[in-house]
Amino acid sequence: MTSTLVPTTRTDKRLKLRDVWCALAGLASLVLAVGAAASVVLPVNSDLGLVAVLPYPYWVGLLLLNVTFVVALRGDATGPASRPVMMWLLAVQVLVLFGAAAFVTDVPRGEVAFRHLGIADALGGTGAVDPNIDAYFNWPGFFALLATVLQATGLDPLTVALWAPVFNVGLWLVAVAVLMRYLTQDPRRRWLVLWIFCLGNWQDQDYLSPQAFGFFLYLVVAVLLIGPLAARPSRFRGFRPSDLAAWWRERSPSEHRPGFRVGALAAVILLVTVICASHQLTPFMLLITITVLTLSGRVWPGRLPLITAILLVLWLVYPASTYLIGHPPMEDAGLSAAVESNVAERVSGTPGHVFVVQVRVVLTVLLWLLALAGAVRDWRRRRLDIRVVLFAVSPMLLFPSQMYGGEMLIRVSLFALPFIALLASSALLPKQCSTRPSFKTAGALVLIFCLLAAMTVTGRFGNARYDVFTDNEMAAIAAAESMAPPGAAILSAAHPTPWRTGTYLEHQHRAIEDLCRQDLTAATCGPTFYNYARNNPAGGFVVLMRSTEASLVLQGDSTTNNMQEMEQWFKAQDGVELVLSNADARVYRVVP
Amino acid sequence: MSGALKSQTLAIGLAAVALSLVTIAGLPAPLQAVAALGVLILLPGVALARLLPVTDPAPAALLALALGLATLTAVSLGMFYLAVWSWQACVLAMGLITVLACVARAWQDTARTRKEVAQ
Repeated sequence: MTSTLVPTTRTDKRLKLRDVWCALAGLASLVLAVGAAASVVLPVNSDLGLVAVLPYPYWVGLLLLNVTFVVALRGDATGPASRPVMMWLLAVQVLVLFGAAAFVTDVPRGEVAFRHLGIADALGGTGAVDPNIDAYFNWPGFFALLATVLQATGLDPLTVALWAPVFNVGLWLVAVAVLMRYLTQDPRRRWLVLWIFCLGNWQDQDYLSPQAFGFFLYLVVAVLLIGPLAARPSRFRGFRPSDLAAWWRERSPSEHRPGFRVGALAAVILLVTVICASHQLTPFMLLITITVLTLSGRVWPGRLPLITAILLVLWLVYPASTYLIGHPPMEDAGLSAAVESNVAERVSGTPGHVFVVQVRVVLTVLLWLLALAGAVRDWRRRRLDIRVVLFAVSPMLLFPSQMYGGEMLIRVSLFALPFIALLASSALLPKQCSTRPSFKTAGALVLIFCLLAAMTVTGRFGNARYDVFTDNEMAAIAAAESMAPPGAAILSAAHPTPWRTGTYLEHQHRAIEDLCRQDLTAATCGPTFYNYARNNPAGGFVVLMRSTEASLVLQGDSTTNNMQEMEQWFKAQDGVELVLSNADARVYRVVP
Repeated sequence: MSGALKSQTLAIGLAAVALSLVTIAGLPAPLQAVAALGVLILLPGVALARLLPVTDPAPAALLALALGLATLTAVSLGMFYLAVWSWQACVLAMGLITVLACVARAWQDTARTRKEVAQ
């Protein structure tokens, strides 16, 4: 491994027939997969999500793509296929894996992207930050960016949200590609890492969100830490204070131009500030990684962890203080609580849903095992780069510190993924660097990639029964939000609900599952949400949709019978009037 | 080489001024998006990344993207906290940042040329 950039130029620049075939096969894969995804009829009615309804040409396309990539990766004695071909195959992979839902429907998946558009809209509407509104307004960096971009470009917000996963993964891949140029000289390994990064990216954190933006900036900081800000450690003599002090003093910068180091440090400070202003979790991940890497003697500016910590604390005690007064950062810390929240509580629901969750866990474990095997292999061959191991492991240190709504393990696995992919690539390629993989190895790679691709599609789109919305559901939400007077309550059975895009501050949006946390039965929960709507001076609207019912049933929080009972009870109450009904949704007005 | 660099700096600066004006004036739908993204993210990013002596095109492109996005976030956020935000003001501010970065780059080039002549 290397700490400096080595330009990779292929000596033979003639167009090869194999490259042309690979490019055409990539195109055929794209046509097959896109055509198949576009033919899916909504709503998705399987507990397994999109994987169960995607027609076979999608899978043929995915198989062809992975076979083509292995052929291209194997290349010839001089190296893999040409760079444009490899980039094209990677672009097809991104479209097929991360754009699949966008070919199925014109509506963004999930609730959060809609909410984020609403926050940007609210921010643009008021022109100022009011931290009292909610947590998002204490970390408004990304939303300020989004509001400016949407208003200046005039782009359709829903289209931006629909294609955000493809755009974000593209951004991440650019950063990971540059990172790999610093970490390995083997072009096959670089392309393989990018491929594994896509195949292992089931976390579904690439939607229009501060964390997707923060992760991109995190990767850029990693590039700067491994590039111009890297240090060469001196010989380690022991743990005596004098030895440690000498070891620390004798480090030397990898980059010999001081101006470049200062410029890179200024860039890191800007990026850290923007990360601190945009997302709650990412700056902590960054602080831990920078600290661990600096303590290993691999980062030249020794005070960088201190600078990062100061920026983080300043953000927390000033702009984010309003939120933190009621929510201490370590409020729900602890390993057992984290395991309970991130693993145990998630493995519940219908058999289909449990299977999807298990696939996600198995995929993560599989990649980590491959990475472990690769790390052992590199270590035995004395080429293990300790920085890669530190980048892969340090996000895990944050796991017990916060439950983060049960999503901490997802975030940890995403932050570690580029480095896990790099270590895993060592287990998948021949022991000798730059050696062409044999036919046997190529066959094994195709099998592994197809397995990972199927698992990623299952994991990513496993909630499609309730996070892919139909036009009828969108019409119901639009009707409720347009009919509701300012201040009115709008209630939906559960998350995700595609709401709050244009009326973030106008209405009180609440999910019935949040109001009735413990008991969703008609007898207990019915009066709770009915009274909530009825007691609102501006009245309320209750939206009951196919997707929200599926969300509760799939995750084991309620049953179809219970939901029907609750609706029957609710319909019979005073002041409740049905104002819209279609195949997938009903909207009720509750007069105050 | 120095002349080529100076003309590139000049082109970026002039493009920032021109795109700022046409973006604020308004363009038909797809062109408005292209112009706005150019003046808000791409040009400031490229101008700022050129202040660093990065020679490899891949890290330079990555830095341009990241610095463009981060600077726009910082500028927009600052305006929101000061309650002076408007997208037009952001366009002007990013145009100004691009021009200032170009001036700094020109100053760097001049200093380098003088140093080379002195040697």
